[in-house]
Amino acid sequence: MAVATKSLHGAVAAHDDHAGHEDYATRLRLNRLGMWLFFISEAFLFGALLATRFYLWGDTRPELDQMVGLIVTSVLLLSSASMYVADTAAEHGQWRVFSVAAWTTMILGLVFFLGVVIFEWGLFPQIYEGHLTPWGDKYGAVVFAMTGMHALHVLSGIVLIFIMWRLARKKHFTPEKHWGIEAAAIYWHYVDLVWIFFYPALYLIGTAHH
Amino acid sequence: MGHYSTGIIIILVLAALTVVEFYVALATHSAVFLLLIAALKAILVIWFFMHVKRLWSAEGGH
Amino acid sequence: MSVRLTSLALVRGLIGYFVGFAAGMLLVMAARLMLGMEAWEQEAVYVGGIVLAILSFLLASGAMTDWLKWTRGIATPMRHGPPPGQPSWARYFGIDYNHKVIGIQYGVTALLLLMVGGTLALIFRVELAEPSLSFMSLDSYNVVFSLHGWVALASILLGVGAMANYLVPLMIGAEDMAFPRLNAFAYWINVPAALTLMLAIFVGGWDSGWTAYPPLSLRGAVGYQFMFWAIFGIGLSSILGSLNLIATILLMRPKGMALFRMPIFCWAVLATSLIQLTATQFIGIDFLMMSFERSLGMPFFNPIMVEGVNMGGQPLLHQHLFWFYSHPAVYVFVLPGLGIISELLPVFARKPLFGYRWIALSSLAIALVGFLVWGHHMFTSGYGEYLRVAFMISTLLVAVPTGVKFFSWLGTLWGGRLTFPTPMLFTLGAISVFLIGGLSGPVLATVTTDLYLHDTYFVVGHFHATIFGGFVFPFFAAIYYWYPKITGRMYNETLGKWHFWIMTPAFWVMSIGQMSVGVLGMRRHIADYDPALQIATGQLWVTIAGFFIAFSVLLMIYNLFSSAEIGALAGNNPWRSRSPEWQIPSPAPEHSYASPIRVVGEPYDYGLAGSQYIAMAGAGDD
Repeated sequence: MAVATKSLHGAVAAHDDHAGHEDYATRLRLNRLGMWLFFISEAFLFGALLATRFYLWGDTRPELDQMVGLIVTSVLLLSSASMYVADTAAEHGQWRVFSVAAWTTMILGLVFFLGVVIFEWGLFPQIYEGHLTPWGDKYGAVVFAMTGMHALHVLSGIVLIFIMWRLARKKHFTPEKHWGIEAAAIYWHYVDLVWIFFYPALYLIGTAHH
Repeated sequence: MGHYSTGIIIILVLAALTVVEFYVALATHSAVFLLLIAALKAILVIWFFMHVKRLWSAEGGH
Repeated sequence: MSVRLTSLALVRGLIGYFVGFAAGMLLVMAARLMLGMEAWEQEAVYVGGIVLAILSFLLASGAMTDWLKWTRGIATPMRHGPPPGQPSWARYFGIDYNHKVIGIQYGVTALLLLMVGGTLALIFRVELAEPSLSFMSLDSYNVVFSLHGWVALASILLGVGAMANYLVPLMIGAEDMAFPRLNAFAYWINVPAALTLMLAIFVGGWDSGWTAYPPLSLRGAVGYQFMFWAIFGIGLSSILGSLNLIATILLMRPKGMALFRMPIFCWAVLATSLIQLTATQFIGIDFLMMSFERSLGMPFFNPIMVEGVNMGGQPLLHQHLFWFYSHPAVYVFVLPGLGIISELLPVFARKPLFGYRWIALSSLAIALVGFLVWGHHMFTSGYGEYLRVAFMISTLLVAVPTGVKFFSWLGTLWGGRLTFPTPMLFTLGAISVFLIGGLSGPVLATVTTDLYLHDTYFVVGHFHATIFGGFVFPFFAAIYYWYPKITGRMYNETLGKWHFWIMTPAFWVMSIGQMSVGVLGMRRHIADYDPALQIATGQLWVTIAGFFIAFSVLLMIYNLFSSAEIGALAGNNPWRSRSPEWQIPSPAPEHSYASPIRVVGEPYDYGLAGSQYIAMAGAGDD
């Protein structure tokens, strides 16, 4: 019964079962539960960062460029839409749509990441002069911690989508069996979900400190 | 477009809520409304984009 | 059969570790030079080394190989049995996906760390045996007791992993864990992490105890960085391991095994895993922030006063984040052990477990209330006074579900036909010791008494009694009890009894001794004390008792090794247990269950005529 595994959380059973009673549906249920448990765990990671923000800043916040905040938030929201299209396309076997939507998501994700690095972090002062440094004060430290941890997840999400796009091109997935794509999609939406809380926490809540 | 209509509606709602959020923040410094809006957006994402229901639905497929 | 050393994952991993360490350090130095900074800055350079070392260990050992292949669409069939062409012991040093092998790997690593941690304790206990400094300096004392703390806690976390990984799939009749590769990864990350922890001692160690309160932890030796990242690694193992266990328990039970028909140990593991899955993130991010504050100067914890306004961090933030994990972590340490007690008592009393549902729910209740009590570590920290009463009440609430467990144990023993082989002795010993720990708890949970006892040796006594009663004694009971299942042979009963009768009275003496010197004024974490406190005799007793405990543990280690060769064949079910894992051959075969099991009755109906727990299709039932 040694069913060969095909891909990341594969198109077929991820481990064979000598008794042979593990089928794709069982494996899928396990994979989904595993992914959601991971999300629950990560919620505490981001929750701890939010707790840090409220503990150290209280009802103040740093002076951040509101335009930048609104733009990066919109970009991430758009990427969520294209990821939804990619996921749904895979479900219906529309692989050309999937491919375009996956690349749209990756590019939007990258734009978000560059937005954070260039405008929030001010890493390239020749383009944009930021005024926060990680070591300056509690505002810089927490902004960099929150956006940094989030950016790490954005980057890993892009890598995950890229892997799935490549596997899809190799005809790895079918409308019935494409857990890898589903995993990348819900991971991407999770990254967006985190930003739904981070955006107001960083940009909107409290009075700006001058 | 038939398959994608739910997603597009949800995205529009999320965008609208983001705009609302922005203007609420201009009007008040209270975190309560902002966190409520964020929670509402989160529920929409979890339900429609992340398909949380698939966790307990018996169907094996996607 | 000879074995090429580099075919062992452990050896490859270690080579990778040290190569990665050097490469990481060089990488950071090169980056610093390119950015126009001085090459050497120990904080950043060592962090680069540690991170790359741990990553290289995992890559070189092969713990991630299958996943990397998946990303390229390459199939990786499940491996079973020892690696081809190698003796059977070699698989214990390799990346093996069988949960029974991984359970043993966890267990042996835990015992090794326990011995290291215990030895460190003996070293500084000798120093405390009499007043004035004898052979340690103040600094070396601080470093050694700090190392003792985290090494011992790491050993407990791995011991919990050992019991959960070995037993849960067996007890629910599953083929393996839900994610076998993740399971192996979660074990192996402990190895480079534990190594990093102990390497800290070569760069000055850390001197704050395990709690790492700033500002001290921001200023001490670079050993702190080793500790932060080591604990981050061990925490990652906790998270991934518990994720795996929850998925296994929720979705891989056989037909008929409703949650309330699981072996009770699985309930304990479920409750423990919920804490580990979530709260561990808090200490992870806390220690990361601490590391970044040290290497990049990001002010999370150190205040920076600008014109009377604090523009920097808050030292108390660490205490909140730290204890939000580290208090529930204590329940991570003890809940599985309490589960073992509930698991073993019915077997040796030949009676149903008293109040199964209550026991199951009390584990969950302890886990959930555990999230609301962290502030009782901070009564003297100067946080808002209104918080004190709230945290006092929530903490005292923990006594309720814990009391439920005690009454259930008594109810199970009451009127039972008791026998007293070594596992039963350790179970009863566990109850007696946990009682000492439990009764001293409310004294510390109450604000008025805690203000006097905070940071004294009374706390040390309380903590060690809960941990020995809740983890060490049950862990030893579990080792003796499942030893025949693991090896197929019986341990030496006489040596086992010697182990128990030396260790238990010695522990009572140690525990009472620690608490009494604490009440008399002995501070925790301090190398010296004033003879005028009149505690020298008490201190001496504690030290002597410590040596007795250490000696008795050596008896067990000897017993485990020698009995594996010469012990009497145990048979499949020497304890006449009803639990599924005892209905299959001992030692458990590679594929535990030849066919799926079915649950047809209650798990603990010992002594009820005609009752049956599981049915095995095809196999002859006994």
